[in-house]
This record gives sequence, structure tokens and C-alpha cells, in this order.
Amino acid sequence: MQDCADNNPVPAATGYRRPPEVVMRLARMGSFHQTRLSFMRTLLRRLKKEDWKFKRNLWAIDEQGFGRAVYTVYGPERTYSLVGFSHDLPDDMRSDRVIATAWDATFTLFDGIPSEADLDRLEQNVPKQEAGRVSDSELSLSRANRSVRLWQHVIESLSVGRQPDRDQLEAVGYLMRTTAVYGSGKFGAADRLTIAERPEVSGPFQAELLSVWLTRAFSIDLVEHIAKARGGDKAVTIDPELRRRIGVGNSTGLGMAPFLINHPALLNNWMMAREEAFARVRSLPQAKPAAVEEFKQHFERARFNVSQWHSQHPIQIEKLKALGADLEQMASYIEHESLTDDHPWDRFYRWAEDSLSLEGQEQLLSLLLEPYGELVDELTQCMDADEHLSFFIDGAMPVAGLRDIIETRCQWALRVDYEQPENQSRFWYTSAEKLEPRVGERFVELGAEYELPLAIGCDIKQLHSVLLDWDDGPTTAEFLLAHPEHRHTARRVQNLASYPYAEIQDNLIAADMLPIDILRCKLSFFGATKFDPRSDRWVRICMYQDAPFPPELLAAAP
Amino acid sequence: MSYNLTLAETESYLRKVARACGLDWGIAEEAGKAARWLAAFDLPGAETMLTHLQHLKGKDYRSFIPNCSTEPWQASGGLLCPIITGAALADRSAQMLEGMEFKLGPTAYPLLLAATVGQAARCHQTVFKTAWAGVRVSCFENGLSIEGNRDDLLLPEVDSVSCYQDDLVTPQQLPSTLAYVIDSKIFKHINELAFQIYVPASDESRAGAGAGLTDND
Repeated sequence: MQDCADNNPVPAATGYRRPPEVVMRLARMGSFHQTRLSFMRTLLRRLKKEDWKFKRNLWAIDEQGFGRAVYTVYGPERTYSLVGFSHDLPDDMRSDRVIATAWDATFTLFDGIPSEADLDRLEQNVPKQEAGRVSDSELSLSRANRSVRLWQHVIESLSVGRQPDRDQLEAVGYLMRTTAVYGSGKFGAADRLTIAERPEVSGPFQAELLSVWLTRAFSIDLVEHIAKARGGDKAVTIDPELRRRIGVGNSTGLGMAPFLINHPALLNNWMMAREEAFARVRSLPQAKPAAVEEFKQHFERARFNVSQWHSQHPIQIEKLKALGADLEQMASYIEHESLTDDHPWDRFYRWAEDSLSLEGQEQLLSLLLEPYGELVDELTQCMDADEHLSFFIDGAMPVAGLRDIIETRCQWALRVDYEQPENQSRFWYTSAEKLEPRVGERFVELGAEYELPLAIGCDIKQLHSVLLDWDDGPTTAEFLLAHPEHRHTARRVQNLASYPYAEIQDNLIAADMLPIDILRCKLSFFGATKFDPRSDRWVRICMYQDAPFPPELLAAAP
Repeated sequence: MSYNLTLAETESYLRKVARACGLDWGIAEEAGKAARWLAAFDLPGAETMLTHLQHLKGKDYRSFIPNCSTEPWQASGGLLCPIITGAALADRSAQMLEGMEFKLGPTAYPLLLAATVGQAARCHQTVFKTAWAGVRVSCFENGLSIEGNRDDLLLPEVDSVSCYQDDLVTPQQLPSTLAYVIDSKIFKHINELAFQIYVPASDESRAGAGAGLTDND
């Protein structure tokens, strides 16, 4: 991010950046929407710009829909292949929970084009997911289940020559739902270092999201294949316009939440890029009519999307109601206020801050970035992080300096009374059953002695109280030798000087903390839509809805 | 039997093993990084770290901490822990950058110390050299080199170690690897120790992790 700040082409934006204490709150982060900086959109922009090619290199699927397939994208320097296996899964084994052991389909993103021997090796391992082992030729490992609601309906319709019912299709939004997408050295897959120097996949989650984009294509091909096998000449394929409405689902639980807390420098860079983009747009003194027009088009699309966004969860139902009302208020503002003069976008946002819910405010942010790709898209280059640099502790810093950072940047942590049971009622741990992070009830469940270091606010306050007993002069190095138990937290605190958006400024062990807020923030950066919480710690989303399919975006490879 | 451990897994497992053996999270993180750094150059970082951490387990952690006010640094228990001491040296890298040479008394597994200090060399884009017995290990921003007698590399205990900044000359750097081959039995042991900081499933935890609604529609 440092480079991005140094090369800032819009110095005026500085005055429009929202400070960390406004942005880094769970309630706001849990109201984020995808933007044009989101990782899925970055990926597709690159594939198009660099004129990537596409080919389905293997389709060995039987009439029942079981077998294997390979989808390859060809870049200027390298190729990547999604290897997919479709399985016969009894209904009673189909579960999105991480404790599942079998799935309708399993996938890996292969580095290059797999040989027959590679495919045989992968077929022995990929279907087992966590219980199998892939190699450093693979960049991801994932699985998906069919949407029971939609799968049969679509096959039955297509096989008799009818298009599926649009309402049913849009209510679900996907044919297959991924339940985990692993990358970066997990389960034997290639370490992140393998791809760190490859511009096409070095950005956050680009390899994983490439695999998901190709998984979406696989899900459509599979459903059309089965319909054709069943209906023969009568069968039709999905109407292209309707097909675009089919994304790929994802079901995400707690395992993903600690990622943002465990990668503070990365979180900072994501947030700073997003905030800088928004500040640049707000700093514009005027808006050109073409930009206003584009904004209005995206606004109408957002209204439509919200009308299609359903949830049964009480929290999200309320949020959607508020968002719907926000959009109506925005429509009225758009109709009555000038959108071209007198810093129009800043005025609009300041009005929104006073008038709209957090859902509406963050929706407006996303919409305002849309007309300004030339101004903001370059910021996607600042969204990865050299995390090694943030590992360094400045041992020479006097204790007074460490204390000063806490007192100036961590008031959010100091003002909480962690002695109150409701302020420490949760603890984060790794589950022995699935080797995944979970959040437990400290006063009900066993295992708090194995707590993960994710109670950041509480830890900062404890560090501060110990620091108060020290004179100003000793160094951090001396302090940490006496108090190694604060090393993890001291590292984070020192980082705040360089990474001001690195910490979530809320109590992550409070009784009323909602893990879905963390999930939504992360997933919005991915580019997800239609957040549908299934509980306070479990959310379903849709990815790539309305995005082009590989053959639409990319020319065919020879 | 051997097992391919990715660098990310090496770091993650050894961090957990360090925690399971009683180190605080911040020091456990150093242990994970050091093990990974050594594995990246095909050196037995995971195995050596495991052996050292097992030795620490159940002992008074403070007896391995250096007394930095004496020269050479000494541990009250007689033997310096290379992770704790390496982190203390990394925290004093500003002094090393000014030319100070640190001298240590009896130290366990000095290779682990070299790798822990090496993390700071990477941040400063410099070279920190650690020397003991007949061998010297240099850590660079993106590499590691060994001079002298490689037989001394894995000594479990040495009487003295010195650590200092060196010039940015690049002797023969070890080739790097992205996956480390480890003996299956040793990995099994690592896995078992890491498992000790996991929380067994309970009805409450199972209920909490999933959806309140059906997840199969």
C-alpha cells in the first residue's frame, strides 16, 4: 500500500478518506457490498484485457452425470485447468457442513494441463478433499453440492424442451454451491510462494476464484448434459440471457472468519484500497453527464438485485428492509439533487451518512465507484501484502512509544470493561473434529485454555495495563523479554503505525459479536452477492451471478 | 515412508507444536517462521524444532530466557532456548545494524537461533550471520548460506554462539524448495502435538458451527 500512497495521483482524496474508527467497525463491515475492486471482477477484467483463451479439454461424463472434466484457460504465459469430478452422492449424505465427507462434485485447479496420469492421481485424492492429498501442481482444492431446490427442476424442464422457471431460478441463483475452496499450501497444494511472482494469480484469492468461475461453467454444462441424456432430441439448453442469472453458490461458516484477524496487513491493504477509491471519487469537484448516467444504470441494477435478494434470517430480513427503504430515499435524492456540480458525490455521501442505514451507505459507496474505473481500478494492485514485513518487531521502540500507539489508536480496545461476563463470553479455538476455527461460549463449553489469540481488544488492554507499570525509557525488546506473553499483541500494536486499517475495532469475544459480519466483509471483497445468513455464524452467498461465462468472455483456444 | 509438507503447513504445524509445548503465541509464531525458513532451504527445520520443543515441554520456560545484561548472554537454567533468544536478538537488530556483535553462552540447537534471527535480516534486507563451533550461517532477505563445517549444523548444544551483521556479499546460497519431505513418523509426532491445542467436539460446538436452518436445499 505504501507504493500506492506514494504514487497517489489524486492528492485531494486525502481529505475525504474515512478514518479507521469509522470503517473498521463490525456493523459497517457486515454491511459491505461487492465493488469493482472485488477480486472476482479484477480476475475477469484481467482475463479479458490479456486476451486469455478457453477450452474444455475433457468431458468424460456419463449419462447419469458422473465422471470427470477439464476446463483450461490459456494466458499469455501460463495455463490453468479446473479438474472436476462429478459423483453419485446419496441424498442423505449431502450436507454443506464442514463435517461432511462426500459431495456431489469435487475440484482442483491444476497448474498447467493435466496428463492422464495426473488425472488418475487426482481422482484418488480430490474426491476425499481434506482426507486426501494433492501436490504442488495443484493450486486449489474445493467441492460443491447441487442445489436440491433447483437441480431437478432445471433438468426436468430442459429435458422436455422447456426453459426453467425464471422465478425459481432467480430465487436460488445457482445450480451448485461450493462449501469450501482451499488454496495456499493447504492439504499439500502449492505454497503461495509458487504463484507470488505470477501477476495473473498473485493478487488475493485469484487462483481460488478462477476455480470458482470455471466451476460455474461446469455446473451449467453438467445440468445440460444430463437433460440431453434424458430428453434426447427434445432437450434444449438454457437460454443465454437466463443462463447469466445463474451464479455459483457458496456456503461459508466460521472457518473463514479468523482469516481477516490473522492477516492484519492484508486486511489493511484491502480496506485502504477501498477507502482510497471512495475518497478519490468523493474528491471530484464535478461529475460528467456520462458518469452520472452510468451511476444511474448501476443504481437501477442495485434496486433490482435487492428485490431478488432474499433471506430467512431475522437480522438480514431487517437489514434488507432498511436497504430497500434506503434505495427509495436515494432514488428521491437522485431525482431532486444535482449530481454534476459542487462535489456531487461527496455531498451525496454526506447526505447518506445522515439519512441511510449502514447497508445503504455501503451500497452507495459500491455504486459510486462504478463509473470511475480509470480512477480507481489501479488500486487493485495494492491489495496484496508482504506479510513478512509486518512480522518485524521494532525492539528499539521505547515502552512509552508502544503505550502511545495504544492510547492514540486503540481507544476502542481500552474503553471496554472485559471483566464483565458479556464482554468476554466467547473464545475462538480450533476444532479437533474438523481442524477448523470455531467460536465457543467461555462459560459453557470446555476448551478456553486452548484459546486462539483472536481476542485482540482484550489482549491490547491487558498489554496496556502492564505497560503502565513500566517507566518510559526501557525498550520494547526489554519489555518483551520480561513479558513474552505479550509478544503477539505488541507486534500487532506496532503494526498499527504503518497499517492503520489492520484491526477490527470491536470486541471479538463479546456476547453480541456476530461472526457473519466478518464473513460478509471478506466475501464482499471476493465479489459475493446475496448474503443470506443461516445463523449468526454461517452464511450463503452467490458468486459470479450475471458475469459472462468462459466462452462469452474468452476466445476459443485451438 | 515420507510425507510432503508444504511450507505453509510447516509453519502452521510448528507454531501449534510450540504452543502445545508451552510457548506463548508470539514466540510460537517465531518458531513456526523459523521452521518454515529452514525447510524452504531443505534443512530439517521441522524435525529440529520438534526435538527442541519437546525438550522444553513441561519445563520452566523462564529458565531458558537469556540474561542480556551479561556478556555472554546466559540462561539461568544453563542452556539458552534458541527461539526465545533468537527473538530477543531480532528485537535488537537495530544494535546489530550499528555493528554490535552479540555473544551467547551455552545454547541449544543454534541452527534454530540462526533462522529466528534470520527473519529480522529479511525485514532489514541485510545479512545476519550466526556462528558456532566450526560453522557460520548467513540469512539474507531471500536466502541462506552455510560456510564451514556442515557437520556442526545440527549440534544439539554448543558452548558459545556469536551473532552479527555482515556485509551484503552473497556466498553460495542454498537452493530453495516449496515442499519439504519429512519422515512420516516424525510428521505423525508433529501432528499429535499440534492436536493437543485443538478442542474436542462437543454437542455445543457442533450445534454452533452450522446452520440453524437446513443446509441441504
